[in-house]
Amino acid sequence: MSDTKRIGGVIISHGQLANELVGATEAVVGDLAHIRAVSIGWHDDVEMAKGEIEQAIKEVSQGIGVLLLTDMFGGTPTNIAAMFLDSNDVEIVTGVNLPMVIKLASTTREPTLHDLAKEVESQGKEAICRATTLLVPQKLKKDA
Amino acid sequence: MLEATIRVTNTLGLHARAAARLVRLAATFSSSVTIRRSDTDSEANAKDILSVLGIAASRGVELHIIVDGSDETDALEQITSLFNDNFGED
Repeated sequence: MSDTKRIGGVIISHGQLANELVGATEAVVGDLAHIRAVSIGWHDDVEMAKGEIEQAIKEVSQGIGVLLLTDMFGGTPTNIAAMFLDSNDVEIVTGVNLPMVIKLASTTREPTLHDLAKEVESQGKEAICRATTLLVPQKLKKDA
Repeated sequence: MLEATIRVTNTLGLHARAAARLVRLAATFSSSVTIRRSDTDSEANAKDILSVLGIAASRGVELHIIVDGSDETDALEQITSLFNDNFGED
């Protein structure tokens, strides 16, 4: 392992989505020491959820920033995460999907937190496509 | 620069776990490693898993492996072996 500092990541979602995204990423990329999942139950207390996120941020922070990836803009996980935005060391990207977590997990360069947030946002958008526009042109021909 | 042509022969193609093995192997070399689909010419950096997944190389697809750098001979040999071994899968 290198001693290079890494930007931390906390994935925050309704239900178990965050845990499953981190689990799937771990299966692909390997150990994710710098990433935590916080899954907020539908009936969890806001203060308790805020405390869990705060703890997760502390655990993954290596002093160069922490990126929070939340499931949905306007949802409770994002709203609670936004309470940490007054710190300069935190950025939030909403609408988390698996490629975004893989991007966060596999970036080994040292971008700034701001740049990494932009890269992860862009990766998440690029990963959404109608697969038929990219795959099996022969199938489209057959169906035409 | 060295180049080889191989065909993806494992059942699931260059899916996430296979791509992860390729990326982990490619990352052990200082040489650049590019894979290019023969049919569409789309290219991927073999050290970036999302780039590799982006070319969606399923079973049967022919790929060019292009390596460039001081350890290119070893890199090409080991990477073609990984494909020829079907990534240890069916």
